[in-house]
Amino acid sequence: MTRYVELQATSNFSFLRGASHPPELVVGAEALGLEAIGICDRNTLAGVVRAWAARKQLRESGATIRDLTGCRLDFFGDTPSILVYPTNREAYARLTRLLTLGQRRSKKGECELHWADYLAHAEGQLTLVVPPENLDEAFAARLSALVRDLGGRDVWLAAARRYGPRDLQRLSRIAALSERAGAPMVATNDVLYHGPERRALQDVLTCIREGCTIQEAGLRLQANAERHLKSPEEMARLFARFPGAVERSVEIADRIGFDLGQLSYQYPDEPVPPGKTAIQHLRDLTWAGAQWRFSGGLGEKERGTIETELALIEKLDYPHYFLTVHDIVRWAREQGILCQGRGSAANSCVCYCLEITAVDPTKKDQDLLFSRFLSENRNEPPDIDVDFEHSRREEVMQYVYRRYGRDRAAIVATVIHYRPRMAIRQVGKALGLTEDITATLANTVWGSYGDGVPDEHIRQTGIDPEAPEIRRATVLAQQLLGFPRHLSQHVGGYVLSQRRLDEIVPIGNAAMDDRTFIEWDKDDIDALGLMKVDVLALGMLTALKKSFDLLGIRDIADVPQEDPAVYEMLCKADSVGVFQVESRAQMSMLPRLQPRTFYDLVIEVAIVRPGPIQGDMVHPYLRRREGTEPTEYPSPSPEHGPADELRTVLGKTFGVPLFQEQAMRLAIEAAKFSDADADGLRRSMATFRADGRLWTYREMFIEGMTERGYGRDFAQRCFKQIEGFGAYGFPESHAISFAILVYVSAWVKHHHPEVFCASLLNSQPMGFYQPAQLVRDAREHGVEVRPPDVLASDWDCTLEPPDDPRASRRALRLGLRQIKGFKAADAASLTAARAAGAATVEDFALRSGLPRRALEQLAEADAFRSLGLNRREALWAVKGLSPDIGAERTAPLLSRQSLKEVQVQLPFMSPSKEVAEDYRTTSLSLKAHPIRFFRDHLARMQVLPCSALKNLRDRRRVSVGGLVLVRQRPGTAKGVVFLTLEDETGIANIVIWKDAFDANRRLVMSASFLVVHGQLQVAGNVIHLVAERFTDLSPKLGEMRDDEEAAPQVHNRVTGRLIRSRDFH
Amino acid sequence: MGQKATDALALVPELVTADAEPERDAEALTALADWCVRFSPAVAVDAPDGLFLDITGVDHLWDGEDALLDDFRTRLAANGLPVRCAIADTAGAAWALVRYAPDATIAPPEGQAARLAPLPPAALRLDLEAAGQIERLGLRRIGQIADLPRAPFGRRFGQAALNRLDQALGRAPEALTFRRPPTPWFARLAFAEPISAPDDMVRVTQDVVAKLCARLETQGHGARRFELCFHRLDGKPLPVAVGLSLPGHDAVRIAKLFAPRLETLDPGFGIEVVTLLAQAVEPISRRQARLDSAREVTLAEGLGPLIDRLTNRLGEDRVWRAVPVESHVPERAIGRARPLGAAPAQARPWNRATPRPTRLFRRPEPVEAVMALTPDDPPTQFRWRGQLHRIRRAEGPERIGEEWWTGDIDELRTDRLRDYYRVEDEAGARFWLFRIGLYGDPERPPSWWLHGLFG
Repeated sequence: MTRYVELQATSNFSFLRGASHPPELVVGAEALGLEAIGICDRNTLAGVVRAWAARKQLRESGATIRDLTGCRLDFFGDTPSILVYPTNREAYARLTRLLTLGQRRSKKGECELHWADYLAHAEGQLTLVVPPENLDEAFAARLSALVRDLGGRDVWLAAARRYGPRDLQRLSRIAALSERAGAPMVATNDVLYHGPERRALQDVLTCIREGCTIQEAGLRLQANAERHLKSPEEMARLFARFPGAVERSVEIADRIGFDLGQLSYQYPDEPVPPGKTAIQHLRDLTWAGAQWRFSGGLGEKERGTIETELALIEKLDYPHYFLTVHDIVRWAREQGILCQGRGSAANSCVCYCLEITAVDPTKKDQDLLFSRFLSENRNEPPDIDVDFEHSRREEVMQYVYRRYGRDRAAIVATVIHYRPRMAIRQVGKALGLTEDITATLANTVWGSYGDGVPDEHIRQTGIDPEAPEIRRATVLAQQLLGFPRHLSQHVGGYVLSQRRLDEIVPIGNAAMDDRTFIEWDKDDIDALGLMKVDVLALGMLTALKKSFDLLGIRDIADVPQEDPAVYEMLCKADSVGVFQVESRAQMSMLPRLQPRTFYDLVIEVAIVRPGPIQGDMVHPYLRRREGTEPTEYPSPSPEHGPADELRTVLGKTFGVPLFQEQAMRLAIEAAKFSDADADGLRRSMATFRADGRLWTYREMFIEGMTERGYGRDFAQRCFKQIEGFGAYGFPESHAISFAILVYVSAWVKHHHPEVFCASLLNSQPMGFYQPAQLVRDAREHGVEVRPPDVLASDWDCTLEPPDDPRASRRALRLGLRQIKGFKAADAASLTAARAAGAATVEDFALRSGLPRRALEQLAEADAFRSLGLNRREALWAVKGLSPDIGAERTAPLLSRQSLKEVQVQLPFMSPSKEVAEDYRTTSLSLKAHPIRFFRDHLARMQVLPCSALKNLRDRRRVSVGGLVLVRQRPGTAKGVVFLTLEDETGIANIVIWKDAFDANRRLVMSASFLVVHGQLQVAGNVIHLVAERFTDLSPKLGEMRDDEEAAPQVHNRVTGRLIRSRDFH
Repeated sequence: MGQKATDALALVPELVTADAEPERDAEALTALADWCVRFSPAVAVDAPDGLFLDITGVDHLWDGEDALLDDFRTRLAANGLPVRCAIADTAGAAWALVRYAPDATIAPPEGQAARLAPLPPAALRLDLEAAGQIERLGLRRIGQIADLPRAPFGRRFGQAALNRLDQALGRAPEALTFRRPPTPWFARLAFAEPISAPDDMVRVTQDVVAKLCARLETQGHGARRFELCFHRLDGKPLPVAVGLSLPGHDAVRIAKLFAPRLETLDPGFGIEVVTLLAQAVEPISRRQARLDSAREVTLAEGLGPLIDRLTNRLGEDRVWRAVPVESHVPERAIGRARPLGAAPAQARPWNRATPRPTRLFRRPEPVEAVMALTPDDPPTQFRWRGQLHRIRRAEGPERIGEEWWTGDIDELRTDRLRDYYRVEDEAGARFWLFRIGLYGDPERPPSWWLHGLFG
């Protein structure tokens, strides 16, 4: 039997060259009967783990194929490219260090290597030289030199038969050269794709890479489709005249003793004090933490839980991991950085004791199981994600680098894949479609995810999807979906190791300064069993930290728990600014759910998610909770199992699955998934996968349940929910972690609205609302808000003593940060000048040395009021300062003299203009709401104030008008658009069905001042207006000018928008 | 203005977008300026979107400014170009009125101050930033600014702003840079007595060509095309044109090219005027042929006269040069180009290592009785035009796939390919054979063809 190993295969991790995924190559090689396949991408190992994992999976089903870990090195200078295969673990380490060296000295995505670099790392490597196009004497000489450099051993010359013009002549020449140089010739097929049908895609990739169209590409394309995997017999036939060339491939493969599975991995030792073992230290820390966490008394139950967890951690040898995370969290707390673990770590009592998470899993009526976090059956490392204050996360990241060194800590990669929009755009361009056609095709995809470009969408735009040129573009774009485009750094996932990390995986530069990241992503890390720590950022933690500082609270745990007044507030949907539950969907859920206990908040957080919504689980849950529908448990037919087999799974949610774990338990209990299948389902659910592996479980799940007598409808809904979880999953532990932040932020808002508002404003940008809404909400809660002013404001918003000494709350002084374009450094100079006694515009200019631009910004934002200057007077005064006043600080007398001049009377500014200017400069106004100035006009149009809606009956036809605050088009809502309008009396929630939206798209998307005519929909406290018609009053906002006669209509006035809505697609 | 294209597309999905081409806009504006010379010799370009015409003393040609403006608008509208225009005493005032007053405003003499007073500060040609600030001070009309004390205003917005105000009001001069359109490459000869004798026509052709070529030569230019036109007494024009493969100004040669064409012209009752227009004029390096004997005449210079004669005899599309086109498909790898001059820059030259026959058949010819080992060994014999050729030596296959992007993607087949073989028969004749398709599929047996002959 002929034996052959393909040693030169390029995957799509050689971006825009290879046209097959690494697993496709492995599977293809197995199918053709190859003994092994070596994937050699250009100066990268980014694809090797995928090939390795695919091979591992094949082995489980009895295949014998091997995957060889190798790399193609392209050099600077005239050195020909080579293929490198490390023979053992140490040689592999040298290869990764070599690639790290090349990547670290180049900019992101590039790798600069020289022959000398390779020589320094060549020990233990097998080297295959790739002959260039031109086999001249220069190459012959170079080849001989290379072989000499490498000591004349373990060098081969890789030949390929490409069906070119003079194949045999070329191969004979290669054979002669190899003879002469002492580098035996080995057969390869220089593979670019697993099967010949990928040629078209490979041609398109070439065009994208070269920036040309397929018509222009000419000889840059491959002449034929021969660069696919070929069977041993075919290879033997092609190389029949060169005996030994094919056999040699097997000999080389047999020399390779390295496999990625040998990457034994050790977590860093740093956190373990000398003289102690890791588990000892972990035990000590845990029990010390337990004493503090359970200060009320450490019961038997808690003790037992902790003991069990520690035993398993010891058994699986993960104590280092917990210690490492603890070390990071401990450091952050010492720096006063607020942090909290999220995700499945909240199932662990050890994490709770170590202060990594804030959830006590031993508490009753929570269904938290340690096995969800760490299990003996699942052979995978734990995954702890920790949120830090977003404004200080960088400090934590730099600490990690300091503590472990850059050679042992790095961020993992995120593989950026081709998504439909980009795929169709680039394929269309490569095929020579015009810009407007590709743009139109791309725009038929809403959002960045999707399954491609559906034909009916294309037809709607007036393009015929069956036209050959369009069909070519859509078919090839479909093939391109999910191809890697480039590597990017993960938001915060770190890999740490005891051994030098660059001996495990190549490390390259990120686009950001001072950042490095490895070539492998989360899935690769998981597949190899390496461990990672997620250092994530959360804006709300910053805001809470600022609140705590103002209130003298140390930690989240110190906030009084279960305060009924806080729940009372949330039940009224009074939740602007509160973590997670401030969105409109959450706000309309709150009054229905009526959260009264902490666990209700957990439900609240979990229920308004794509999973339960897509699974249509929300309404059944609410009805059962309200008691209008009996709680019953779906059951199998009697012969298949007890009728209440789901009671334990769904007990606490009235028989309705809401959490990700419940859906998983359904798969096991009701659909009888095996452990392996359940694990596969969980994995494909855990993160969104471009390859849509989730689909493969659909049939198994639904049939599994219906066969056992469950209703098909219920089974389908359950699976829909799983699909929804797939995109944005919320396990219960995660919902609990988030619910803590919901409660704490609601507590601050209820008891200290002025503190809450100041903290949110000082943490912008974050959250769902703009400063104008946050300030408005604070004022509605009785907070006195004062404008930014040069004599009173700092950069941040501050609290000031109230005017009325008997008042309970302090007043909120807006900070200079509210002024658009004003810089923090300028604020510092300003406050310094103020401290030095500045009390006039000239003083401020002289003493602060502020640039004129900053002074003008202050004047235009009306911040000189306290000096007795209105906005125009202040601007006039600032403009009148000597041009180089800032530089003249040494000679103040001189410049002062020049200030004497004729007094000028500027026109008075009308109130509406004042408000318009407030919005222009600070995005909010404390003087009045803009819509107030149009109330008469609106009244004449029969438009009601927003506040009037709550007194009206269901189904009444009404009109309301206001500023457009938010536009939302959630993916789960089938083309429905949600709009929030605001006038001087309150806000109104508008629902626009797809038909109404399509008919008024332009207006709805662009209007800033909109009147909506429609029908009221009242359900309890939740009021919506279903839009039927619209009147765009946006041009009216331009009339907020001075009271004098209107200026002539100008022809090309640059239209400035008074407000900008926040649009979420 | 200033809206992002993606935002605009979200509003109006059917929106047609075009890339901004400031350079081409500027070219078009310049061209328009040249066209405007028919209204006034003094035209200044006011980039990026305006033109100034100094119409001092020309309006009487149109019976007044109203009529001039009317004519201007009508002519531009006929060219599909919408415009706004205004007339005023000063360039600054006209600039303001055309942008901020109703279209076609004409400020009466000395009347610009009153016309400008209600316009916003931006009408003073200030930068947007300054104009915005002036408005925010409550000064929303030029009238208000004009009434302010000059010194405080100047202190705040600078001498430049004051200057703009003065220029608009006619209190300060403004120099415009007027554009001079290039002299056309045109020559004309008029005769006191009409001519009609063939000899005379040859002679005047020589004269007029010499006249224009002298000008071309002094300015270091040459033209690729010359259009000669005899104007008959009865007003009928008789045009003749010749083209050159390289730009030139050699009067004798050019006149010679015209000579054979003149015989066909009918002078009727006589010709009173002859005109000559040179087109595709471009600068050429002036050559001093042969002073330096080391310099050879280039191939192009040597071939030029022959090619010009052939082309003017046979027609422009009959004389061409084969150039490489980048394609793997042999019959597509050849293109036609102008006989002389640079080859199209994008194509690389043919690869010498890729054997291609000296003579490539326009249509491949079928061959029969082919014997070859499957799957892809070279044939050992074939019959072409009835004659059997036994093959002594062969090379191949060179495999060339189809250009899939011209066909239907759903019918993409990996076996639709050609395998080319270079073979030599016992008589030493060399052929380029190909097989279309692969052996093995009984539905589609492969077929053999001859595509060319090696010399």
